[in-house]
Amino acid sequence: MASLAQEKRAPGAPSFLSGLKPGRASLIALAGLALVGAGPFVTDAYLTNTLIKAFFFGIAAITVDILWGYAGYLTFGQSVFFGIGAYSAGLVFTYQGFSGMSIALALGAAVGAAAILGFLAGWLSFYRGAAPFFASIISLVLPIAMSQLALSGGSFTGSSSGLTGFESFDFSMEEWFWIAGYSLMACGLLGWKLVNSDAGRILTSMRDNSNRCAYLGINTSAINTALLAACAIAASLAGFGYGSFSCVVAPELLGFSLGTEFIVWVALSGRGTLWGPLVGTVLFNVTSSYLSGSMPFMWQLLLGFSFVLVIILLPGGLIPLLARPFAVNKKSVPELVEARPGEKALPEKGWPHAIEMNRVYKKYGSLSVLRDITFHAESGELVGIIGPNGAGKTTLMRCLSDGGERTDGLVKIYGNDIERFPPEQCVRFGLGRKFQNANIFDSLTVAECLRLARSIKERPSFLEKKRTLALPPYVLDVLRLTDLDKKLPVPARDLSHGEQQALELAMVLALEPLVILLDEPTAGLTKAERTRIGKVLVSLARDHGLCCLLVEHDLDFVKEIATRVIVLHQGCIIMQDTVDRVVDSELVRSIYAGTDFYAGPGRKGLREGAA
Amino acid sequence: MKLFLRSFTAATLLFCSFAGNAQAAGPIKIGVPVGLSGANSVIAPAVVQASELAVEEINAAGGILGRKVELVIADDGSGAVGAQKAFDSLIFKSKVDVVIGMETSAARNAALPIVSRGRVPYLYTSFYEGHSCNRWMYINGWVPEQQSASVVDYLMKTENAKTFFLVGSDYAFGRGVLEYTKKYIRQSGGTVIGEEYLPMDGNDWTAIISKIRSSAPDALISCTAGGAPNVSLGKQIKSAGLSMPYGNMAIDEGTAKSMGADASGMLFSSSYITTLDTPENKAFLAAMEKKFGSGMKTPNDLSVPQYDGIYLYKAAVEKAGSSEAEKVIAAMGQVSVKGPRGVIAIDPVNRHAALNMYLGQIQADGSLKIIETFENVQPGPQCLK
Amino acid sequence: MVFLLDCLTTSALLFMVTSGLMMIFGVMRIINFAHGAILGIGGYAAYVATARGFGPGYGWALALLAGLAAGAVVERLVVRPLYKRPLDAILATWGLGIVIIQIIVMGFGRGVQFIDAPIHGSTIVLGVSYSAYRLFMLPVAAGTSALLFLLLNKTRFGTKTRAVIMNEELAASLGINSELIRFLSFCLGAVLGTLAGALISPLFSVDPYMGIAWLTSSFMLVMVSGYSFISLMLTCLVFGAAQVVISSFVNPVLGGMTIAVLAATTLRLRSKGFSRG
Repeated sequence: MASLAQEKRAPGAPSFLSGLKPGRASLIALAGLALVGAGPFVTDAYLTNTLIKAFFFGIAAITVDILWGYAGYLTFGQSVFFGIGAYSAGLVFTYQGFSGMSIALALGAAVGAAAILGFLAGWLSFYRGAAPFFASIISLVLPIAMSQLALSGGSFTGSSSGLTGFESFDFSMEEWFWIAGYSLMACGLLGWKLVNSDAGRILTSMRDNSNRCAYLGINTSAINTALLAACAIAASLAGFGYGSFSCVVAPELLGFSLGTEFIVWVALSGRGTLWGPLVGTVLFNVTSSYLSGSMPFMWQLLLGFSFVLVIILLPGGLIPLLARPFAVNKKSVPELVEARPGEKALPEKGWPHAIEMNRVYKKYGSLSVLRDITFHAESGELVGIIGPNGAGKTTLMRCLSDGGERTDGLVKIYGNDIERFPPEQCVRFGLGRKFQNANIFDSLTVAECLRLARSIKERPSFLEKKRTLALPPYVLDVLRLTDLDKKLPVPARDLSHGEQQALELAMVLALEPLVILLDEPTAGLTKAERTRIGKVLVSLARDHGLCCLLVEHDLDFVKEIATRVIVLHQGCIIMQDTVDRVVDSELVRSIYAGTDFYAGPGRKGLREGAA
Repeated sequence: MKLFLRSFTAATLLFCSFAGNAQAAGPIKIGVPVGLSGANSVIAPAVVQASELAVEEINAAGGILGRKVELVIADDGSGAVGAQKAFDSLIFKSKVDVVIGMETSAARNAALPIVSRGRVPYLYTSFYEGHSCNRWMYINGWVPEQQSASVVDYLMKTENAKTFFLVGSDYAFGRGVLEYTKKYIRQSGGTVIGEEYLPMDGNDWTAIISKIRSSAPDALISCTAGGAPNVSLGKQIKSAGLSMPYGNMAIDEGTAKSMGADASGMLFSSSYITTLDTPENKAFLAAMEKKFGSGMKTPNDLSVPQYDGIYLYKAAVEKAGSSEAEKVIAAMGQVSVKGPRGVIAIDPVNRHAALNMYLGQIQADGSLKIIETFENVQPGPQCLK
Repeated sequence: MVFLLDCLTTSALLFMVTSGLMMIFGVMRIINFAHGAILGIGGYAAYVATARGFGPGYGWALALLAGLAAGAVVERLVVRPLYKRPLDAILATWGLGIVIIQIIVMGFGRGVQFIDAPIHGSTIVLGVSYSAYRLFMLPVAAGTSALLFLLLNKTRFGTKTRAVIMNEELAASLGINSELIRFLSFCLGAVLGTLAGALISPLFSVDPYMGIAWLTSSFMLVMVSGYSFISLMLTCLVFGAAQVVISSFVNPVLGGMTIAVLAATTLRLRSKGFSRG
């Protein structure tokens, strides 16, 4: 997903509603209410009819926007869920008649089938190591397979003719208009609440950097799958409404041209804004109902052209452009407070080793990158790992934090075997990992990044934005030492390199880990920053009982803070001892002689540190 | 003051008389929903041309009940969603007096609830799989009951076929026609030794052809989606070296001609072919040629029913003496027109028409030879309760 | 025997249709969603040539030129600006596919066009009579894969391309013009696509949407094979055979879905298998 991080500019632009004062938001909501209420009396029968359908399509478009604009999952298959809802209505009302019972049955079928298929699609699409567009390709297969299924259904599904003329709700056009209109508004509002809530930030963060999410203990596959299932249900209910209103269901409603149309609407009207697709879908449907009838090919060509142009030149879409003059871009800043210390007691004597690695191997084919790694580290220890480039230091970190990495051997975190668990599970055993390059969420603010890092400690709310942000004392220390506490509303991508490093450290610490892995935490920092970080680390180990594992080239730094040093060479541990003894060791000197370790660009060599 | 009053009255009178005139002389609007885009877009231009010719002729001859006729064409996208848009727009926006159109079954089915709601006469002018009924709908295309028998009979009697292999595209029309064909083969004492379907847009018939080869039937009958699947099947059968007699239920004249040698020997059955030797057909073709010249699309079994459908509507309005929907629907079952396909009259209860059907065979040079003519073939019970 | 030939020729067709997609995916990590439309361009190039009475060779040459032109234009105008936004590249190529198809419709109409096969009828192979043109696809596919193998492994272009595939930054720092490599690969991919379109058209028919039917299968095949042509060939063989098996012994409708379903499950399960080491 790393490549996705570079797409941040396009969709994640701060939505203009998110910064609205409540007064203005409720004003817009009221205006919407009034508009929908008056709608049927000011439009003629034809427009009313067109709008009712557009409203149902609008709901589906909103789900596409949540999945794609916010969570970064480009789906061609949302029509499948829309169609499932419509077919549920069609099939049940055709074969069971229309009654209270059958309405319940149809609704149940719509929700159930969509949820099951959503989960299945999620399971197939979201797994560790899946290419980001793989999910898109699966989403392309789904509608093709489903419409095929409907076509092969013979007289049961009506094949290509679909089902029609079944009895349905006896509402007047006005009533349908209100039902569809208010459903769309409710969906829009709910979606808006969701994406702007603290939990909603998780969606953006997964799009930005799913790897960091995993290492914050967030199970991205599960969240993506759950989100897909939820959006599937919403789209299915919209389809249910569409089917019941029009009394026609046909394979077209499941097909991928409808799915593509959803995307076109969302892309043209502005992904990642919710209200853009909401307004846009309605507008496009009305326009096309007046234009496409007379010039279908020209219409499609025009649509295709503008689609390509918008994607290339204006990824934000057209409608936000019109609204830009009215945008209020104010980020709310939460107040920092100290988190109450967790229930978890500090590790005591008699506890298992903080880290235990036993005969761990990592092989690529015949090449062994790690061989027979066996060591353990305890609570309160600050262990430095040193070794020349290519010695396997970062690989060792990986094998400690991701159960899927090592080829063979045993890894335990405080007695918990990490087996083949993914990173998010290892994090739940108390592991925190800071990467070599600052690994943060570019389009989120400092405050949002930190809130996200707390999500396994404090379940973020789905409906609101909390006004306070509770963090453990040592995280507050880090923020204060680096002045990040004054930059809470700044997007992470606008921070300096050192600040980004500090932010990542703060994020990892916000997990309240028991074991923390640090891959060159001081790289690129100034001397002053380095000293401050050093103090923080020492206090973490000494005062808070954390076990810190530190990959570092700066021997001065290691010498200052480490309690012990492990030397890696060609994938093997060749020495474990105190800093002084390691530095003075003849063995280590001889190993480093002739390697580029001394001359590592921009790094302090061993000799310098030992001097 | 007096002056003012007078002129006001005059103005009102004038206005009223204008309005009254407009009522009487205002055009009759005929809505034509058709698949300008999507699967039917291959055939749609011919249908539009046929409609235009009919309307031009009617207007030249003084219109219907003295009123001009106006055509409103709407794209139905060849499917359900598009058809709903098209019918909504025709009935509720353009407020047409009648809908006359050749469409897919999906489009027709999607349209029926709208037609019922809008209370507008609807003339469906496509051949289809049968048994679609609605108070407002009349149909003048063929159904399998009128078409399949001639092909099966010929294969059994002339080619001595006992065993049949059926191949189709997996959709309502393909399934519907072959279902009836299968029933008819069994009734006639033949056996169906294989029945295979490919998805509607499937073009690669390899596996099915291998099956046909290994089961070696006496004859082959296919009913695929129009265009690419049909053509691919014909080509692949030829290139696989299969040479058993072959009846193609879904081929139109234009396609057969352009397939040339790949289609030679194919049997087909239809209610219209261009070579019909009747004065009505000759006049029709001449008029088409005159109006469209080199841009003329070959008239076919879908565009000609559209043409005579418009004349049927004219006859019904004239009989009813009004374009009022209820009266037209009542009159529609009592009129008949003589068009390029012969005399067409739709049964007021069964809602389908008896038709002249032609069994033909495609020759090596792509020309069509009529083997046998069946007059007045009944559609069988379609909408009888 | 016929069954075996069915499997082989189906795989050969799949390989022909997929190789252009693979070329682009391999080098640029982008799935070209306009691939279906590119196949269509090839089909129409062949149609234009044969309808004017030229032989099939001219059709192929025209397809090659059309592919080159289409590839160059698309790469410059659409793909290059989106290289850093792979998901948007998918979308833009998809939109482009719609545009190309609409242009074809406006130029040639919606109708189905015919191309006469350069090799007619059937031949007797090992005792069975089989479609000659389908058999002709076997050496064509084998030749294509051999040429691609030589190109990628025995030429300077190939070495550079592989360098770009492995590590673009490093390759760039070694003075390889990775932008040019990407451009050439995209053009090559488009050419492979149009050639495939021209080659398969005598077996099927030519219409604006002719490429769409191949899209999902070819996408899935590429996803399963990863980045190598050899594995693409093997995947085509295995999955093509599976498709024929399901079509022949179970149901052709299911057969049409075989590749997609099989590929999706394979990817899902294999990725887990890999993480086990």
